[in-house]
Amino acid sequence: MRADVVVVGAGPAGLAGATRLAEAGRQVLVLARGNGFTHWGAGAVDVLGRVGGEPVERPLEAIDRLPEGHPYHLVGQAAVRDGLDWFSGFADAAGLTHTGDPERNRPQVTAFGTLRPTCLLPEPAAKELRGRVAVVNFAGFRDFAPALCAQRLRRSGIDAVPASAPLPAWDHDRYFTGVELARAIDDPGFRRRLAPGLARAVAGAEVAVVPAVLGLDRGHEPWADLQSLVGTPLVEAATAPPSIPGLRLFAAYRARLDALGVRWQFGFPAVGVERDGDRVTAVRSEGASRLLATRCQELVLATGGAAGNGIEANRDGTLTERVAGLPVEGFDDRLGFMGGRFLGDHPLAAAGVRVDAELRPVDTAGEPLLANVCCVGGLLAGHDPTTEGSREGVALGTAARVAAVLAATPAR
Amino acid sequence: MTHLIETDVVVVGGGVTGVAVLRDLALRGVHAVLVERFDLGTGTSGRWHGLLHSGARYAVRDQESARECIEENTTLRRIAPHTIEDIGGLFVLLPGDDEAYADKFVEGCAASGIPTEELSAAAAHRREPLLAPDVRLAFAVPDGGIDSWSLLRSMAADAEARGCKVLVRHPIVGVERAGDRITAVRVHDAVAGEDRTIGCQWVVNAAGAWAGEVGRMAGVPLTMIAGKGVMVVMASRYVRGVVNACRKPADGDIIVPQHEVAILGTTSEQVPSPDDISVGLADVDRMIDMCAQMVPAIASGRVLRAFAGSRPLYKPETPAGDGGAGGDTREVSRTFTVLDHASRDGLDNMFSIVGGKLTTCRQMAEAVVDRLAERMGVTEPCRTATEVLPGADHGPHRVAEPLARVERDQAYGELICECELVTRGQVRQAVADGLTELEDLRRTLRLGYGPCQAAFCAWRAAGMVAEAQASEAQPEGAGEPHDGPAGRGSPSSAPDPVAGLERFLEERWRGQLSTIWGDQARQALLNHAIYRGIFDLQGDGVPDEAAAALDRPPGAEPGDGDPTRRVGEELVGDTEGRTSSRADGR
Repeated sequence: MRADVVVVGAGPAGLAGATRLAEAGRQVLVLARGNGFTHWGAGAVDVLGRVGGEPVERPLEAIDRLPEGHPYHLVGQAAVRDGLDWFSGFADAAGLTHTGDPERNRPQVTAFGTLRPTCLLPEPAAKELRGRVAVVNFAGFRDFAPALCAQRLRRSGIDAVPASAPLPAWDHDRYFTGVELARAIDDPGFRRRLAPGLARAVAGAEVAVVPAVLGLDRGHEPWADLQSLVGTPLVEAATAPPSIPGLRLFAAYRARLDALGVRWQFGFPAVGVERDGDRVTAVRSEGASRLLATRCQELVLATGGAAGNGIEANRDGTLTERVAGLPVEGFDDRLGFMGGRFLGDHPLAAAGVRVDAELRPVDTAGEPLLANVCCVGGLLAGHDPTTEGSREGVALGTAARVAAVLAATPAR
Repeated sequence: MTHLIETDVVVVGGGVTGVAVLRDLALRGVHAVLVERFDLGTGTSGRWHGLLHSGARYAVRDQESARECIEENTTLRRIAPHTIEDIGGLFVLLPGDDEAYADKFVEGCAASGIPTEELSAAAAHRREPLLAPDVRLAFAVPDGGIDSWSLLRSMAADAEARGCKVLVRHPIVGVERAGDRITAVRVHDAVAGEDRTIGCQWVVNAAGAWAGEVGRMAGVPLTMIAGKGVMVVMASRYVRGVVNACRKPADGDIIVPQHEVAILGTTSEQVPSPDDISVGLADVDRMIDMCAQMVPAIASGRVLRAFAGSRPLYKPETPAGDGGAGGDTREVSRTFTVLDHASRDGLDNMFSIVGGKLTTCRQMAEAVVDRLAERMGVTEPCRTATEVLPGADHGPHRVAEPLARVERDQAYGELICECELVTRGQVRQAVADGLTELEDLRRTLRLGYGPCQAAFCAWRAAGMVAEAQASEAQPEGAGEPHDGPAGRGSPSSAPDPVAGLERFLEERWRGQLSTIWGDQARQALLNHAIYRGIFDLQGDGVPDEAAAALDRPPGAEPGDGDPTRRVGEELVGDTEGRTSSRADGR
């Protein structure tokens, strides 16, 4: 096989990068072992939620307070802005309008009733909580506990009360997952039967918080429709994986990439590269029964950090980059990987590949290693996407940067 | 300070030995109260590999222990089959292992009454397909797996049904003596935060590795040797039955499949204190590398956690110069000893039961209670070997049982813990029974034991606890969809389930630190992305909330009701390092 650009990885960075490169006219192949952090995220666009554990109000300004070597410093504020602008346009066109201001963070309500600082929110999660708030579960859904959510919200001074809405008769009377419920809510008839019970559950409230299950394959339309049937604004709370807002986004990317003629190899991990001097000539990936080699001009690694599959943490404390064998700074022993508190910070999360301003990997002396490889997203050293709340911002900012870099090295 | 309780016998220690003593006394019609500093089975009884010994491990060097083991192995299968997985065991001979040892092994087993069957390499591989290809031959023995939580629960329930009492979170803080007699035991009610005394005629010290501390409080010298053993938990079972190396016992020579996991054991190191349960990286690596010689797939397997336990070893009359730390404690006999402190130390009414092992707990209890009964003038004979335990009609535990239950009930969507197949109904019932601490749900239901290490089940269960508290506060809404947001949810006095969740996560984290690499590193970071990333928990509630968790339910008076329900003082488990802060006076 042959491609102009191979993008390895289909998480937030790989999807955005592949789309932007394809939009710029590159012929792209996406090689992915599986789903990435679209499915594991909170369903928002985090740019910079916390620095040093403290919530950030103005994410772009707060970039200055990040340590040296952070990906944001490499790509610059302009690329982050560009990434967010591009994303807003893309999401809007896909029927997944996001709202928010890159200059200012806003709170996203979670299933735990915490208010996580984020930047852009999909419309179904965007409404501010004020006045009386009903926290409503759909009866029988095991992944949402209104009492828990409302209790925490009250601690934040929000007048929240728990409630439960009955589900109409459907195919999954006995048990169901969030995905099944979201798919059911795609059906206008189901929504009409659901609305009266939900309306009773939220009666008297100015706004209702619900699990993020309001539709799967129809963008934000099921949410908007149900909201108008109920007559009360509905707010989707960040809910446990798989993230249904993330699934919606993934589907939108996939549709866009298909429309742009991008090819996919999904479910086949990349396991190595072929090289000629300082250039990668092909990517090796697992096929159904044999190793495949895909020849390429440019390789974009969007394989994620140690939480994804980009970096393997070895028993002896060393770290291995799994596709091109790029150097990654490890630890003296494996006790260095993690902090002493689970909810604290973990050094392993910030481990990654060091790159230059063009996102080309460099060695410990800062010298470029491979001339036609770029790294984006979670694979990059120097940031912890979870504790900083920077995952989507870094993904979009580095995708913007890689699009600009490769625009300067057109397809041959 | 009043004598809150008067009883005939105080049993100190809530491990399997103490609880077996309590049950033995109960069956003889003697009233007894058991006091335990934490919760049942939080010492050595909860920190071991789960092997129901056939005795074969001791057949070459310690035949007295071997005989005790095979006898009790048979007895426990009769009285407590529901706590046992009848999986058998193999002793495998690898290249380089000494065939002469194998001969001695077979002879030793025969002399100890342990049946063995020699299996060819091919037969051994048929039975255990993941065994190393170079296994030369194997011996089948009647090893098994035993669940000590379940055994403890059954024995305690039986004793309580017969009028005895179990007081957990009541560490002993001293004794009151009148001359050569103990008249009362002073305990600290860690939940109520006050001391009280239990008047008694007799005391049985069954504190295991901590028996020396109890002896010191009673004023009798008693030196225990703390023999630390490190164990490693793998994410799947690998083997159908127990697999042992057929060689002189050494580090990393046993694999015990238990529920959904396998436990690799173990080291044997003398340490200064039984509270030293730290785990070193080298210990973990050695367990894995050694056990991988028997089952190579373990080398690349997923490791969930590592923990250590302290063997309660007793060596009578320790020769001078042999009391230090660092030695291999395998040389100390695994048999047990009854100490009558009247003849030994001139303290009239106390016995200690020391040494031994989980497999022989019933026999240990019989031995000490026989001596005690004789002194008390109680003529009822011991019946613990014949009276079956509550739950025994269930028959042997089978690993596939939870899956069969889920299949039968079509309850996949009901699963709160997918790894251990714990359903919503089970959690709801346990919460209704008063278990509101996730740590108690874990020990009772195995919630959070599996490969994902509580990525999903812990927050789901925390949500169920919150919902239960809310519907208690608003009973008209209980169990039914509410129409309209009428109630205010849980009362402000209820413990914060989020803080409870954070505490649980931090406690579970300690035992994982030495085993995080490869896929388990990904798992840990994904879990972190859920709890810290999506749910935005910052862990800031943990230090402050330790006190809040002690809040008693509204209306409860100190000393009221079942103390096992007033939980939250401490969280135990396969934790690393920390023990001292558990029941400090408050």
